[in-house]
Amino acid sequence: MGAKRLKAVVLDGKKRIGVHNRAEIKRLSQLCNKWVQFQPLFLPGSMAAYVGTLMRVLPTQMAMDGLLYKILLKKWGTGSMNQMSVEMGDSPIKNWKGSSEDWGITHSRSVNPDAIRKHEKVKYHCYACPLGCGGICAMQGKYGETHKPEYESVLALGGLLMNTDLESIFHLCEVLNRAGMDTISAGATVAFAIECYEAGILTKEDTDGLELTWGNSNAIIALIEKMVRREGIGDLLADGSKAAARKIGKNAGNYAMHAGGQELPMHDGRNDPGYGVHYAVEPAPGRHNVGAQMYYEMFQLWKVMKSLPRVKPLYFKGRKYVADEEKAAMAAACSKFMNVVNCAGLCMFGVFLGAKRIPAFDWLNAATGWHRPPEHYMEIGERIQTLKQAFNIRQGVDPRTFWPAGRVIGRPPQTKGANRGRSINMEKMISDYYTQFGWDPETGRPTEKTMARLGLGAGEDVV
Amino acid sequence: MSYRIIDICNGCGACRRLCPVDAIRGEKNTLHAVVHDMCIECGACGRVCPVRAVTDPFGTVCTMLKKSEWERPHFDSKICMSCGICIDACPVHCLSLSGAASSNDPHGYPYMAEGKKCIGCGFCARECPVDAVTMVAP
Repeated sequence: MGAKRLKAVVLDGKKRIGVHNRAEIKRLSQLCNKWVQFQPLFLPGSMAAYVGTLMRVLPTQMAMDGLLYKILLKKWGTGSMNQMSVEMGDSPIKNWKGSSEDWGITHSRSVNPDAIRKHEKVKYHCYACPLGCGGICAMQGKYGETHKPEYESVLALGGLLMNTDLESIFHLCEVLNRAGMDTISAGATVAFAIECYEAGILTKEDTDGLELTWGNSNAIIALIEKMVRREGIGDLLADGSKAAARKIGKNAGNYAMHAGGQELPMHDGRNDPGYGVHYAVEPAPGRHNVGAQMYYEMFQLWKVMKSLPRVKPLYFKGRKYVADEEKAAMAAACSKFMNVVNCAGLCMFGVFLGAKRIPAFDWLNAATGWHRPPEHYMEIGERIQTLKQAFNIRQGVDPRTFWPAGRVIGRPPQTKGANRGRSINMEKMISDYYTQFGWDPETGRPTEKTMARLGLGAGEDVV
Repeated sequence: MSYRIIDICNGCGACRRLCPVDAIRGEKNTLHAVVHDMCIECGACGRVCPVRAVTDPFGTVCTMLKKSEWERPHFDSKICMSCGICIDACPVHCLSLSGAASSNDPHGYPYMAEGKKCIGCGFCARECPVDAVTMVAP
């Protein structure tokens, strides 16, 4: 859409959408809603950071249950994870070269869930959502009000830039939303610019006099507003870090943290290698809302599809870095499932509740009048994924160019922080993922046999 | 399936003026007709027809009711989960979401913002996934 200079597509209509069995959909919704409304009293937001610290120091990890995350979402929204993620090593700091040792609890306290919630005037629900993780917040400055900044936005404009000024984050979220620009890409591109400035690749003359240093919130605001207006250095950076690095030269690409030109979100593959794999294998690269090992744990798909690998309730963290067929099957299941979820208009946070609690497949059967097993819908997801991959290849896009920057996958590994010493066996994990889909393990090209099996034509016609 | 206008229509135009999706066509004092593909089956035309010239999708002749007798939605905030489906379902946009209910409850709840617009169709009640909306006669 960006290439077509298209910001959005709006569809409107007055006809009611018919479904096969409205009563059954309602019955299923009421069952699901019982889980959504389950909300015990919980820890104060200030404790979240210490939970993250505990998760960092323990050698073992509990399989994540999405019901727990739902409780956090309902109370604070996605910002519930702000401090916890920094502490446990999930959120990248200082353009992916830092850690909680650089941006510790005293810094991340500025974006504590309770600190953000203090601004919240009323909850905001997306269409038809019983959870309502969003919010409308009061803020200082000329706008006065904004949507509650999401986790990704807060950390991309906060920890990634070492910025502790919460008001600047509120302001920038509103500025970027109004411009139709992505907060993750904007934050990551500013992080790239700051590191270029630190390395002497960009000078004060290049930055129109801005002192681009870590945590300098005034300079960060000025730079992003220049990007929105495509003014001076802002014009150079407005197309993202990959394009800017190409124009700057001088090995600036070493500081551009992207996958296939897409700036990376605030989830560190060195903490959960599943993210690293999905950043590289998805036909639209750099996505954090498709799969991860933690997502697989929360989807609980094995409870409705016995052929999928089960997750142990407690395991050693080292297990996450072992590249084996089970991890590939988990990653492939996430991709297939999220294609179904996205096509059905469901929400990823909703399906985190677990397959037994949120009846996605049963809803689809009730809506369509089909009586298909979950495996049938997963095959639809597989077909979508393969079609997207085939489209890229037909357009001359090489999936192998989607590898994230070396720093992001632990090459070289960090020497301090939660993710010290960790790197991802991307070669094997990517190759195993391609194999799961029946794509060529080296090139990622869907084979003719796979295309035919999925009813996508005779290979070469499409690819 | 849609509502229909039969040939005893006197062309008063009351149904055409009320129809929320402009699905009724006809000149003043001539037989009106429902454009079937556009009809959303809200039944408003049947409730305002003074000569009982409208039939519902089952062929039953509709009875005129005074506007003050039309059913109106009642919202149970103890059951409501603030999803907003009722607001989106309303074809005349007469519902709205309130501000935060209280300092302890940051959720907004649906309420009748423009009562005069309500056509008593009951879509809000039918679409509510948790039956928090009921249609009540005044």
